[in-house]
Amino acid sequence: MDYVVEMVGIRKEFPGIVANDDITLRLKKGEIHALLGENGAGKSTLMSILFGMYQPDRGTIKVSGKEVRITNPNVASRLGIGMVHQHFKLVEPFTVTENIILGSETRRLGFMLDVRTAAKRVEELSKKYGLNVDPYAKIEDISVGMQQRVEILKMLYRDAEVLIFDEPTAVLTPQEIEDLQNIMKNLVKEGKSIILITHKLKEIKAVADRCTVIRRGKTIGTVDVAETSREEMAEMMVGRSISFKVDKVESKPGEPVLEIQSLTVKNSKKVDALKAFTLDVRAGEIVGIAGVDGNGQSELVETITGLMKAESGSIRLNGQEISGLSVRERNESGIGHIPEDRQKRGLVLDYTLEENIILQVYNKQPYSKHGILQPAVIRKHAEQIIQSFDVRSGTGARSVVRSMSGGNQQKAIIGREVERDPDLLIAVQPTRGLDVGSIEYIHKRLVEQRDKGKAVLLVSLELDEVMNLSDRIAVINNGELVGIVNASETNEQELGLMMAGIHKEEGTS
Amino acid sequence: MNNSVKSLLAVLFGLLAGAVLMMLTGHNPIEGYQYLVQGGLKNPERIGNTLATATPLILTGLSVAFAFRTGLFNIGAAGQMLVGGFCATAVGLSLDLPRGMLLPLMVLAGFIGGALWAVVPGFLKARYNVHEVVSTIMMNWIAYWTVYYVIPAYFKGDSVETESRQLPANAMLRESWLSDMFQGSYINLGFFIAVLTVIIVAFLINKTTLGYELKAVGFNRHASEYAGIGVNRSIVLSMFIAGGIAGLAGVAQYTGNASSIQIGILPSQGFDGIAVALLGANAPLGVLASALFFGLLYSGRGFMNAMTDIPPEIADTIIAIIIYFAATSILIERLIRKLRLRRSANKKQED
Amino acid sequence: MKKGVISLISLALSVTMLAGCGSSNTGTEPSGSGSAGEETPKANFKVGMVTDAGTIDDKSFNQGTFEGIVKASEDFGLEHKYLKPGGETEADYTKEITNLYDAGFKFIVTPGFKFETAIFKAQDRYTDAKFVLIDGAPNSGEPGAEPVVKENTVSIFFAEHESGFLAGVAAALHVKEGQAGFIGGLEIPPVQKFNWGFQQGVNYANENLGTNLVINKENVVYQGSFDNVAAGGQLAAQMYNNGVDVIFAAAGGVGVGAITEAKSRAEQGEDIWIIGVDVDQYSDGIYDGDKSVVLTSAVKKIDAAAYDMIKAELDGNFPGGQTITLDAKSDGVGLPEENPNLSEEVLSQVDEVFNKIKSGEVTVSAEQGDLIK
Repeated sequence: MDYVVEMVGIRKEFPGIVANDDITLRLKKGEIHALLGENGAGKSTLMSILFGMYQPDRGTIKVSGKEVRITNPNVASRLGIGMVHQHFKLVEPFTVTENIILGSETRRLGFMLDVRTAAKRVEELSKKYGLNVDPYAKIEDISVGMQQRVEILKMLYRDAEVLIFDEPTAVLTPQEIEDLQNIMKNLVKEGKSIILITHKLKEIKAVADRCTVIRRGKTIGTVDVAETSREEMAEMMVGRSISFKVDKVESKPGEPVLEIQSLTVKNSKKVDALKAFTLDVRAGEIVGIAGVDGNGQSELVETITGLMKAESGSIRLNGQEISGLSVRERNESGIGHIPEDRQKRGLVLDYTLEENIILQVYNKQPYSKHGILQPAVIRKHAEQIIQSFDVRSGTGARSVVRSMSGGNQQKAIIGREVERDPDLLIAVQPTRGLDVGSIEYIHKRLVEQRDKGKAVLLVSLELDEVMNLSDRIAVINNGELVGIVNASETNEQELGLMMAGIHKEEGTS
Repeated sequence: MNNSVKSLLAVLFGLLAGAVLMMLTGHNPIEGYQYLVQGGLKNPERIGNTLATATPLILTGLSVAFAFRTGLFNIGAAGQMLVGGFCATAVGLSLDLPRGMLLPLMVLAGFIGGALWAVVPGFLKARYNVHEVVSTIMMNWIAYWTVYYVIPAYFKGDSVETESRQLPANAMLRESWLSDMFQGSYINLGFFIAVLTVIIVAFLINKTTLGYELKAVGFNRHASEYAGIGVNRSIVLSMFIAGGIAGLAGVAQYTGNASSIQIGILPSQGFDGIAVALLGANAPLGVLASALFFGLLYSGRGFMNAMTDIPPEIADTIIAIIIYFAATSILIERLIRKLRLRRSANKKQED
Repeated sequence: MKKGVISLISLALSVTMLAGCGSSNTGTEPSGSGSAGEETPKANFKVGMVTDAGTIDDKSFNQGTFEGIVKASEDFGLEHKYLKPGGETEADYTKEITNLYDAGFKFIVTPGFKFETAIFKAQDRYTDAKFVLIDGAPNSGEPGAEPVVKENTVSIFFAEHESGFLAGVAAALHVKEGQAGFIGGLEIPPVQKFNWGFQQGVNYANENLGTNLVINKENVVYQGSFDNVAAGGQLAAQMYNNGVDVIFAAAGGVGVGAITEAKSRAEQGEDIWIIGVDVDQYSDGIYDGDKSVVLTSAVKKIDAAAYDMIKAELDGNFPGGQTITLDAKSDGVGLPEENPNLSEEVLSQVDEVFNKIKSGEVTVSAEQGDLIK
């Protein structure tokens, strides 16, 4: 068999944990090989080893049949291995070509930059692989999807034969994802080999030929994607069976809980981030906000919760105008908020779990009396949430949150917000970066809130999540409401178009 | 727990480094340290002096530590201390009241003076996002020059122009029974104020909703906003308290350890407070312990000089090295971790 | 120097009427001095010093005192040591005095008025020790307290104004026509007296010796510290920019900054001067190899004072209980022996004035009167 890359019996230990334990990955020439695993399963460590950032404790790496020692990324680059990082490493004010040649500039007479020759080469590569990139465009002027192609071009420019894609779709719209998948197919057609790191099964199904699944640092197996179902792969990944469809009954919407009327908000750059936005969320329903990142979702949520001030418009909660209230008053009048960035907003990472559990109620009886905290009561409350929301941590309520896994951090936030029993629960990206098991659990909890007659506003960049969970979907583009559709009556194509700003005739509800 | 081990290790490293320096300069470190300790603890008077030396350090260390726990870097303890000491001295020199009323009033004036001095940077940070490191340093110099002007203008001594008048015994923190107990040491009530403040601050930080709020803002401003905590109010309040504590250091220094206030000097204790806080891991009890350690070093150094041939400059360097090592205990921890990692990596490589 | 020492001793003895026996002829050959015969006084006592604010090499007070102690120790085979207090409060000073005492240093010299209260207490507490307080007199520090100089203490003052006066005369004679300025450290009596004396000296030269050196009000400045070197440079630059030709800097480290500024200007070819203080600062102003920007220095012979006190103790003549003022008459103040920057003519005129001060023909006031600051 003709393998371009073989990693055999790789072991890597960090103080306290074995990140990779006897992992084997074999990449055939001209295939797209998915590397599937939950967060913390050891995917990144394995790829960092291949890319020369870590040295394995044990095991061998062969490139094109020859055993190699990859001591640093330059060695990897010379061996024809390139990586498209999840977070792009581009210089914004530079042009595409300048970014691509950065670090391996072609020179004339030894010191003059030869941009023109480079640009020509970029253009050829772009054409050959169907990337459609303008070599003279500035990075700051092109879309995220384009920027990603620049990253790909960087690798091709350096004659990479093996491309590693690290969670490449996290930042893309559905259309862009489709484009990327076509590009990947083009690349392998031209003889390149690809390792795709992901935890999204749908994408694996769409492009990959084979898939290696790892769990807790160990190889579970390598399967032929065409012959394996999503459910089977998911089970390999988490070690138990998983249901993808969120089980929920038909919603029974009641009175409107949240009423937003022509809300206009300026962002920190004094630009309208939200333009005359109008939306209702009723008791007993989940309304999802679909949109590409940065189209006003954050501003919408922060204005409802009081973290940002509105320019104009009204926000009513249970019929009461709340736009003049402080964050605390809004919290107290019945808003729960699972924030977008759990580590920045949602938690005080250096506080213990129990201290985080009382983040909004620390000054209320019975958690404190006369300004003095009541540790026993707090402990009991925390332990109850830990139990009912399955929050796992090293030392229970006393664990410092920073030491906890992302999934458990998120469960703690959800537990805290749900236990406050708010009429309106705002959940922003509630499952971002979490593993399949946690996602399933959190989805169940959100639906449970809905069924208890609460209003739930869900903001997510994962279209699947919005479609699966929501009863109604409001699509936002450039701060404007494009339209509202019933989740059961729409599909990905329609939403994708709306997310791109193409209006649907009239929202049904 | 972990922190105190770290700090003790840091002190040990510091002492070792100091010993190396003594050896390099041709002195006997055992003898040196022996006299250093003796100088601080040999007799009741020296013990009293050590405690008195530590007193302002406890308070400035506590001020820096408190601010640090609430996410603020208070470099201005020196200025706050000066202003606090000035306010207390001004009250002591101006009012003729029974001791039982005058002393509490002076302590209060010192606290308020230091607190207000720190509120300015707090306000600037909260309102205009001016970094407190810059503004507290500037406030130091404003304090310096204000005192420089006001003392000669209103509280001038008879003979010397650079000091205020001497405080009457009635308006000083010294107690004869205390001095007698420590055989003429200049230990004074300031030490008890410091210990009491440590206890109060420990309680405030760890047990109250106010402490919870202030720490939350310090750890994560965004999360605090999200929780509905008044972030700006917390910043100002934190600086108020930190400044007040530094003000108390001024009370202890200028109306207890000294009997008048000098112009043209920013108290060095204000800056030492940063090192004290670092070594004390920003915990009130840790600060108390580390300030006592510093007090011992400062107090014993002169005796070490007098008894050995170690010149004062080398002695200063030794103290500085001990402090440096002690205060950068975080680096030590990092170093150890790195060494451990490398060793395990090497072992693996050999397999 | 030696002449000064002798006259100083004789002065000390004449002031000390009580002890004024006839052994005043001992001082000519210090190391061989013979009341006790050989070098037996060695074990007699150890000399300690506590420094004032600033370092031991401050080119001023601490250094001057210490040089005197070192010289005496070498000449007489004594053990000596200095300690540096941690702060500038009485408690800080007392601590170091105690440390010296506990370590057997029972002849303790302290330079600076800040030691007044510490010595006041120490002289009672350590009756078997001797104290020399330079530039100050022990007192309780309480309002209106009278100085109390006990039998084991000597308090030494200098007539800084006379020294400043001579510097002023020299400056006026050298520059002839132009502007002068003054940079002081803290506004304390010794510095003020330098300033007032300097102004009187300039005025004297203008009135009697045909010069026209002007001192403007804005060019008389107290910086506010003795250690802010950068501020010294800035103040000097400002004055020179305002057209000042010669600055008298009585300001410790601040003066060092001023000298540095003067040096860099002199290197550029500017015709400006600076006058040093306390010790001969000629060598601090050297540039281009052999030239110095320091015109002369208003000297206080601190080293001689310290030296003479140690010697007096050795000879059994310690003038305990006395307050001594060293002035022109006793050669305790004046200009340096060597003044390479001053012409013969200027020097002889300055000498003349010096003699007039000695004789009392010219009196220099130690008070501000209607002088600037």
